[in-house]
Amino acid sequence: MNHILTSRRNFLKTTLTATGSLSIAIALPGCQSLHKSKLQENGNWDANAWLEITADNRLIFTLDRVEMGQGTYTGLTTLVAEELDTSPDEFEIVFAPADTQYRNRDYGLQLTGGSNSLSTSWQVLRETGAIAKIMLLNAASDVFQVPVDKLTIDNKFVVHPDSSKRISFGELASLASKQALPSDIPLKNKSDFKYIGKASKRLDSQLKVTGNAVYGIDIEIQGTRYAVVSRAPAYGSKANKHNGNTLIGIDGVETVVEIQSGIAIVSTSYWQARKAQKKLDVHWSEHPEMANNLDEVFSIYRKAAEEDKGDVKRSEGDIESVFESTNKQLSAEYTTPFLAHATMEPMNCTAHVQRNRVDIWTSTQAPDVASVAVAKVTSIDLSDVHIHNQFIGGGFGRRLSQDFVAEAAEISAKAGGIIKLVWSREEDTQHDLYRPATLHKINAALDEKGMPLAWDHQIVAPNIMDWYIWDASPAMFPWSPKFMYSTLGKVGLLTAGTPVTPADTSAYEGADDIPYVFPAIEVRHTKADAGIPISYWRSVGHSHTAFAIESMVSELAEQAKVDEYEFRKQLLSNSPRTLGVLEKVAQIGRWGRKTGTNVHQGIAVHKSFGSYVAEMVELKIENGEIKLLKVFCVIDCGLVVNPDIVTMQMESCIIFGATAALYGEITLQDGKVQQSNFHDYPMMRMNQAPEIEVFIIDSDESPTGVGEPGLPPLAPAIASALYKATNKRFRDLPFKLG
Amino acid sequence: MKLNINGVIKTINSDADTPLLWVIRDELKLTGTKFGCGAGLCGACTVHLNGVAIRSCITPISSVEGQSIATIESLSGSDSELHPLQESWIKFNVPQCGYCQSGQLMSAASLLTQNPSPTDEDIDSAMSGNICRCGTYPRIKAAIKATANSPSRTQSDLAYELPVRQTTS
Repeated sequence: MNHILTSRRNFLKTTLTATGSLSIAIALPGCQSLHKSKLQENGNWDANAWLEITADNRLIFTLDRVEMGQGTYTGLTTLVAEELDTSPDEFEIVFAPADTQYRNRDYGLQLTGGSNSLSTSWQVLRETGAIAKIMLLNAASDVFQVPVDKLTIDNKFVVHPDSSKRISFGELASLASKQALPSDIPLKNKSDFKYIGKASKRLDSQLKVTGNAVYGIDIEIQGTRYAVVSRAPAYGSKANKHNGNTLIGIDGVETVVEIQSGIAIVSTSYWQARKAQKKLDVHWSEHPEMANNLDEVFSIYRKAAEEDKGDVKRSEGDIESVFESTNKQLSAEYTTPFLAHATMEPMNCTAHVQRNRVDIWTSTQAPDVASVAVAKVTSIDLSDVHIHNQFIGGGFGRRLSQDFVAEAAEISAKAGGIIKLVWSREEDTQHDLYRPATLHKINAALDEKGMPLAWDHQIVAPNIMDWYIWDASPAMFPWSPKFMYSTLGKVGLLTAGTPVTPADTSAYEGADDIPYVFPAIEVRHTKADAGIPISYWRSVGHSHTAFAIESMVSELAEQAKVDEYEFRKQLLSNSPRTLGVLEKVAQIGRWGRKTGTNVHQGIAVHKSFGSYVAEMVELKIENGEIKLLKVFCVIDCGLVVNPDIVTMQMESCIIFGATAALYGEITLQDGKVQQSNFHDYPMMRMNQAPEIEVFIIDSDESPTGVGEPGLPPLAPAIASALYKATNKRFRDLPFKLG
Repeated sequence: MKLNINGVIKTINSDADTPLLWVIRDELKLTGTKFGCGAGLCGACTVHLNGVAIRSCITPISSVEGQSIATIESLSGSDSELHPLQESWIKFNVPQCGYCQSGQLMSAASLLTQNPSPTDEDIDSAMSGNICRCGTYPRIKAAIKATANSPSRTQSDLAYELPVRQTTS
């Protein structure tokens, strides 16, 4: 049995609520309520969880990691349910409001991203269930006058098998709340798990197949007025003048207000607001310093690469002398484009700003950052901002940024009343914060036989934190007065890498822990920012580092005249789990098998978010297009809570990754994004989707991420197959047969 | 203007050029039908017009007056019993974020009504207008095939029927 540190019990609290419900909270140091007090500056960022047992025997679980498809609704509930010996589908699940006690310990923010919901909740949520179980059993022991070890639990009831007596959790709630807090919190062993590790149905499916799941965009409150916003074509331009006043009174338009991001039209219906928007004429200022198009972006990057060798992120061996001592080298450059998130649910928010409080109904990945966004544009204190989070129609990092929340709040503050803001698909595509474009320059020194002696890797890319910190850092310091907010952004940057602010690894993550053994290796990051808004995008830095690394490894194998799978095996002596997934995928995908005519195999492996994923593709070129036929995927993500959700996430990452590799590209002209809707920013469709086969490695290691790690190896695996199909190296994403 | 939505005649106040989607969602508060693109490109807004899948985001209400419109809310029937496709969707763990699934189900229901035993190509052809950003296509395809091939299902189980009641509100 596992035991947590007994000192932590000092922070456990139980309360009997006014309605007779038993609530159990785990309050860790530095995690007091947002509404009452301040964050302690000890760097302790642990997440908390709530379980409520009502007198009428309902189990209410507050989910503090948002559900955006990745399966927290099912997975995290299963953790509490397991220790309570109660089926996960007995729980009612509510979404957490913004509150410091729900912060993600890895970030110090209440944020869902980085594929760590399960790993950061694995211990604490099982403890939440286990504490409740002990107190309920102790209460039942008092009621039945029998020792605790004679009692068992059967789905929300404590049972005394010898006498066949049963009593519900609800009946015990009041008595249980008066029990002493346990000094030890025993957790189940893996062999005793009833729900963890078993494939089970998602708890949100019923709601989602009947149209009853409520997303942010579905919030309809009596008296709501609808808003649309015209934004500057190029980021950073401001509205000089406009004809908004002439629109009032037509098409139900009640008012037109100027907000920071543009001009907002408020009407009695969404469609009328859209019709009025077509008549809005705005003169925009020249946009500030930024790249006008992709050529300029990459010339900024190349200039930076020449002027600045970059910060060393990893250095082993004497790389200079290795390059001096050999005359055989291989150099290659890889580029990746800007990418939009394209969540199916466009950005939207309903806001009601009143004199003393603000209510926000939306789908956000970061409720506390949303609160800050509201506080910045209104006169309301952070503690009076109430975030009502909903199901999320796709996140992928887009909903970590709160620009749409700020817009709705600002419109409500200026126009008054309840405002529902819905972005069009065109606005969603053109006013995203994009996956950054990047440039990778890799030089390898080779020995006589062509085997690598040294790996020199320069990554040219912006830092995402430079953009995100201005939004996020006031949420890390919620007690700070509003006039400090702009300063806090700077403080966040200055303190990056300290316990207060996590280091920004987004530009080079994955490249700093290349698993292959090279006698000498140096990895550097040259910061270059073209002024295009950027943010986190599914698998973040790994989405480009894996492509560059694995593509170069494939090229190096060719130099060594070794099959690329065998080549990788030879260099993976220090990473048994990487090797494990690679060998398994080669086995299930039958690497090197005699394929059909014009069918080509490709392979790649990458570790991200703690998980190891290898992928093998089979593709052919048909009618001048790349046709992905089959993808094999093997993941090692430690102990698995819900195997089918892991499989689903691999399938999801593969199709998301294939969309990016084959079609994904945001381009600019005069600073304006040229793509607008699914005709020119296409998504993979069913008739284009490959067959997918997923294998999960059995493991007792701690659980690691699954929402993102399936994406990075796909693009290089496709590139490797494309080389066989065309005898041409594809070093730029997306892949164009040309 | 009056519209027949899920077997109920509704008086509509929106402008005649308003796309059906926004009337369904904003005026009638039936929010199961989703907005995705506004251009008939993604299928999130799919509803049935006289039993056939259409894109409500590009269908002005003036063009569907007096015709029979059905949304996801009616797929499970008046007694709340799930449509066989909905049951398969749950069984195969299809939904992830779930946002596109109302449209996916309405397209699939329309397909099976017209073609109870679709081939893989038939399914691709009927479903390729519906985008799923979470990439649930392999499971959608499996769920449709299982529904179509289920020996316990008769063709009439799959046929889409509007609720019989014809009340005015």
